[in-house]
Amino acid sequence: MNKLISLIRTDLNITFGLSSIIHGFKAKKKIWQLLIIPLALLSLIPSYVLLIRGLWSFYDAFSQIGQQSYFLLMGFLASQLMVFFFGLMYVMSKYYFSNDLNHLVPLPIKPSQILTSKFVTIMVSEYLTSMPIFLPFAIIFGLKTNAGLLYWLYAVLGAIFLPVIPLVISSLAIMILMKYTNIKGKRDQLRIIAAGGFMIFAIWFQLKIQQISQKAILEGENFMFNLARDANLLVRSLGVAFPPSMWGALSLANYDSFLGLTNILLYSVVSIISFVLMIIASEKLFFDGLIGNIEVSASKHRNINKNLDKTMVATRPYLAIARKEVKMLFKTPIYLMNSVGGVIIVPIILAMSLVTGEASMEPISQFLYGNTDLVVIIGVGMIGILGMLNSVGVTTFSREGSNFWIMRTLPIKAEDQILGRLLASLFIQVIGALVLIVSIFFVIKLNILSIILILLLGLLASIPMTLLGMIIDIIRPMLTWTNPQQAMKQNFNVLIGMGLGTIYVGTLFFLIKFMFDKVDMFIIYLILMGILIISSILFFKVLMSLIEKRFRELE
Amino acid sequence: MLTLKNISKSYNKGSIKAVDNLDLVINSGEIFGFLGPNGAGKTTTIKMIVGLLKPDEGSIVLDGVDVWRDSLKAKSIISYVPDNPEIYDRLKGIEYLNFIADMYGVSKEERKTKIYYYSKLFNIEDVLGDIISSYSHGMKQKLVLTSALLNNPSLFILDEPMVGLDPKSSFNLKEIMRKLCDEGKTVFFSTHVLEVAEKLCDRIAIINKGKIIAHGTMEELREHAKERTSLENIFLELTEDE
Repeated sequence: MNKLISLIRTDLNITFGLSSIIHGFKAKKKIWQLLIIPLALLSLIPSYVLLIRGLWSFYDAFSQIGQQSYFLLMGFLASQLMVFFFGLMYVMSKYYFSNDLNHLVPLPIKPSQILTSKFVTIMVSEYLTSMPIFLPFAIIFGLKTNAGLLYWLYAVLGAIFLPVIPLVISSLAIMILMKYTNIKGKRDQLRIIAAGGFMIFAIWFQLKIQQISQKAILEGENFMFNLARDANLLVRSLGVAFPPSMWGALSLANYDSFLGLTNILLYSVVSIISFVLMIIASEKLFFDGLIGNIEVSASKHRNINKNLDKTMVATRPYLAIARKEVKMLFKTPIYLMNSVGGVIIVPIILAMSLVTGEASMEPISQFLYGNTDLVVIIGVGMIGILGMLNSVGVTTFSREGSNFWIMRTLPIKAEDQILGRLLASLFIQVIGALVLIVSIFFVIKLNILSIILILLLGLLASIPMTLLGMIIDIIRPMLTWTNPQQAMKQNFNVLIGMGLGTIYVGTLFFLIKFMFDKVDMFIIYLILMGILIISSILFFKVLMSLIEKRFRELE
Repeated sequence: MLTLKNISKSYNKGSIKAVDNLDLVINSGEIFGFLGPNGAGKTTTIKMIVGLLKPDEGSIVLDGVDVWRDSLKAKSIISYVPDNPEIYDRLKGIEYLNFIADMYGVSKEERKTKIYYYSKLFNIEDVLGDIISSYSHGMKQKLVLTSALLNNPSLFILDEPMVGLDPKSSFNLKEIMRKLCDEGKTVFFSTHVLEVAEKLCDRIAIINKGKIIAHGTMEELREHAKERTSLENIFLELTEDE
């Protein structure tokens, strides 16, 4: 038990950099950097307030048809699904790709102990991401219904156990995936394809179930009658998509009855049992996927001078940097999933959620068809947001990690650094833009001109976003990571980037909305282009001096 | 010629002085050995020369170029080999070498000649097509050495270069250092292997607690010490007094 506690403590310390934060305070060096964190959080507050306001009226809508409990189900479903999807990435990198595994495996500890400690750390990370979603639902419901003490007690239990089952499922899925793809040679490629396919399947599956159950209840003859009679009807019908969320919602909605008690027991006990089962299974699964994962196979053909000759070509520094960046992104599974995975999956999810709601598609599609300019503007805005979401710019220096000395000791001009890293981000953006355009095509058939406009303006919008991200990253690069996941997913710069990026895109959006009916569209596009170019130049200049300064100062 | 003038570096707001008012002149065509116990300030000094740590005070000038004022120019004539070869392990060996050559602006023909020459010398030519994460520590070290020799540096600066090298590569590295010196370049390296320093270096400095406690040729160092035998005795005697 002592071993386990020590493992958990150390892993939490490493993951969240506790010792280094304290060291930073003592050295009085990083205090201003720590102050940036609350500032970044403040920048996210406006959109968060907007979201909570929306939820507030959302509750009323369900309350009117007597189905308040469905409101809770949505809270549970949204946060638990998020835990599950983030969990897949966290689990993959934490269980299989973190640097400390090389030290942990030879120690006299059980696989299950290593796994438990890592599971706990991921749980903590997941609380940080899921609570901002779950808590508004639970609190709004409690306030609106004037719920008693027992409700709040159930809510706390609901929150504590919330990540367990989704994380157990993602742990098992990844462990099985890693065990059976542990084949020499094409390991990485195989896993990326499998993980991508699995995620798309999971999204599709969720949407399909919802769609089927939606149809089933709407088509029932006594729908209105049943709705009025059973306050939990929607939860029961739609909760089958993910039963733990249903148990959670039912327990909170019926906290004052026996139904609530049985559901909270079901919810907590199943969470605990599933965790224990997963840990038992890990003894059989974990090391099989891990051992051999660390070893890397070298090529067998020894006489390769002919091929080498071809590769030895002089390249301009910024192109060489861009090529190196793209190679590193594509060859590190975690980077690939976060950057390329992000720009591919987000448009697909959006398109799927529109396409699966077939009945409601027609009016949307027709409305958009008459407003192709609106589609173009939304498309450009989305590509711009993807430019921050792909995390390529905002983690470009952080990803260098312990290799950063190479960049700092080589004679590289600041403009080459910027240009190379920008090109790498644009490369990823082209992929995202193409997927987005194909996704839009499922909703509305665009003409060639609109496609070209979306591509051009979208890529142009990606430039200031990437540069803005790079500015954030060079100010506070996260270089002391032990696991590439920390450089990209657990990097606070990403969150700061999202906040500032949302403000940038939001400002542009309101500006365009203001001009939309008053000014000719051609002029609006010109103004947009002008703003994007000017802000790019501005960010480029700021970045130039920052890079020169920070490359000297960093220690 | 490399001139370090009154350089100091402290950590934790001045509470720990890693390098304390250090003065050194290293001539062109000279192999200079930098010795000292763990934590004496060797790596800190080297990092200040190559641009990784900004000195609190003092200046570092290489062949008339101020390393910190005109850093780009200085970096183009310095090659650095760190004590721990942490490099982009997801790249192939050849990709890494090409990348470094691109940064130094080495022409196609020159890089071909040098890559073949040094990779053959260090016996890594057959693995250049493999991903770096499959390399052993010593192979990575040899790859970094090869990359550092692509740009024909004026100053070749190495932190503990012999660690992890097999005897043959170690011998070859010493030959390369000698050859560079004959061409009028400067070689500066830190080491714990006193034998190497004794046999290879034209001059030696011993640093302890951030200060140079002795420097000069082997002969001059012998005069400092009571027991005028080996460098080992001199080193132990000098560093123990402090």
